[in-house]
Amino acid sequence: MIGRPLFSGFALGRTHLAIPVALVLVLGCIVPLGVLVVFSVFEVDFDAFVLMPALSPRAWSDLFHTWSFWVLIGKAVISGAAAALTTSILGYPIALALASAPLNWKGIGTVVLLTPLYTGEIVRIYAWRIVLGSEGLINTLLLDLHIVASPVKWLLFTPFTTALVLTYNNLPYMVLAIWVSAEMVDKRLIEAARDLGARPLDAFFKVTLPLTTPGLAAGVFAVFALAAGEMLTPSLLGGTSGQTAMAMIDNLFGTAFDWPLASALALALLAALFLTAVALGFCLTRFKGARAVIGRGRA
Amino acid sequence: MTVADRPSRDPATAPLLLAARGLKKSYGRALAVAGVDLDIPERAFTTLLGPSGCGKTTILRMIAGFETPDAGSILLDSQSLSGVPPERRPVNTVFQSYALFPHLTVYDNVAFSLRLKGQEPNLDNRVRRALDSVHMGEFGDRLPHQLSGGQQQRVAVARAIIAEPRLLLLDEPLSALDRKMRGHLQIELKDLQRRLGIAFVYVTHDQEEAFALSDIIVVMNKGRIAQKADPLTIYSRPADTFVADFIGGATLVPATVIAAAPGRATVETPLGTIESAAVDGLAVGDKAALVVRPEGIAPAAGGAASLSGEVTHSVFQGERTLVEVVVRDIRLSLASHQPPAVGTSIDLVLIPERLFVTRLAA
Repeated sequence: MIGRPLFSGFALGRTHLAIPVALVLVLGCIVPLGVLVVFSVFEVDFDAFVLMPALSPRAWSDLFHTWSFWVLIGKAVISGAAAALTTSILGYPIALALASAPLNWKGIGTVVLLTPLYTGEIVRIYAWRIVLGSEGLINTLLLDLHIVASPVKWLLFTPFTTALVLTYNNLPYMVLAIWVSAEMVDKRLIEAARDLGARPLDAFFKVTLPLTTPGLAAGVFAVFALAAGEMLTPSLLGGTSGQTAMAMIDNLFGTAFDWPLASALALALLAALFLTAVALGFCLTRFKGARAVIGRGRA
Repeated sequence: MTVADRPSRDPATAPLLLAARGLKKSYGRALAVAGVDLDIPERAFTTLLGPSGCGKTTILRMIAGFETPDAGSILLDSQSLSGVPPERRPVNTVFQSYALFPHLTVYDNVAFSLRLKGQEPNLDNRVRRALDSVHMGEFGDRLPHQLSGGQQQRVAVARAIIAEPRLLLLDEPLSALDRKMRGHLQIELKDLQRRLGIAFVYVTHDQEEAFALSDIIVVMNKGRIAQKADPLTIYSRPADTFVADFIGGATLVPATVIAAAPGRATVETPLGTIESAAVDGLAVGDKAALVVRPEGIAPAAGGAASLSGEVTHSVFQGERTLVEVVVRDIRLSLASHQPPAVGTSIDLVLIPERLFVTRLAA
């Protein structure tokens, strides 16, 4: 009986090492979600400001009958998707340039790329106000060069501002994700494509883009989630257009003390973002490149 | 081979396909190619042979368009390639690591260049013919990582020949394969080249491969051409000691020229005074080398012995045994069917018509 496992039928294997982490992930994800679901059917005594256990459809009914909530959810999805799109278009040239740069330039590139991330969001927001304001850097320059007669108003406190700053804030994540992927693409494949008659742009679309889709997908997921959930940038730079679902949830939890409605809105937003992310992921895995890179382990 | 196409294979008479003049390329301070003139005839199998770092791959990359020469010109069909990007050169490359597109099937890899050209009514036929010509017709649906090295190499060749280039460049295409597969694919490549009639420029550091495949061998040393000739000439009349040494199998005996005529020389060596064929341009008093190969030396019969040495090694090679003999501190090799025992003494004669006097490499 020597060497027999103590509990027959259960031996510790390598896969079991993942159990503690899996438990933390499941608990960290399931428990708060469960709490939100439970809160969303509670009732509130607005006179005494007390949350009362109940099984009430009031919050969900309010949610479904208030179209402005759905506008906010739609805005979150669109703003996340737009940021993912603009950062990927701007991020590709930067990431590819970094991947083919000499080693010391990669170091400089990394520092330039990461520094804005470490400055803190509030600092960046006020810096943008100085750059884009009526008496800001850009308007002063345009006026001094007599390009415009009066300050350009739409630079600050408009949807344009929000889109610009969300793109700027999230560009580093996209560039990092694509860059890592691009570093793993064999440069000889690009040479082979050129040798076989591909112009540089053909080579990009037929070889580089398909083989970097895993990085692109990672960047898209990260930027979409970050931009869709952004609250400070739209509310401090977006002016009257800066209302977001996140800010509304914050209001409902705090000032309004309507925890059930806040929970219901949070769950609806989560579902909308999750479905969009799944759709994006589905589109990206349609690329042959992603399948080849991910499927290589199954040779 | 018919008589009619024989002259076209003769490097001396085939029309010129590519002419490079004064090619130079350096990376930082390292000079990779130091002024090379190279003529590639049509339909010929030309091999650039040399140790790593001799500039052979750089020349290939300049012809393909991946590197820009610092100086010099390349003409293909009398048209300058200067400023022409790789995609517009009628030249295709088989890369050392094959460089197959990992996300495309074998079929799509081979069809790559035809699809870039737009409408191609015979696409399917041409892809299938290219795959069949390398015996990969049944593997069209596979992805590259599902193939063995030899199969990947075949696909790389099919992909490179399908657009019918004027010139096919091959950068050590067999170096990653095992010996048996290499020998097999050598024969296939040579066959394919004959059938297609496309000029091949082949880069290798393996002299056996070069001898097996080539119509013309260009031996390179430190960014320059050391010798350009057919394999037999490279073997029997090496232009200098670098070529003789790189080809291998020869003992280079130090020699001093005491008489010289065009193509012949008489030299003073530790093995005695010998008259034999020689490189042109030797002058009396020059330091030179006598190239002694196993076939240039034989056991002495009767009283004809001129040398005597001691047998130090004996290497069985199947149909013959290579015997190493030390004569006056010089190691010589001779082939023998009845090898003498190691440690015994042996009488030898040199065979002057199989010896060659060459100059010392710079």
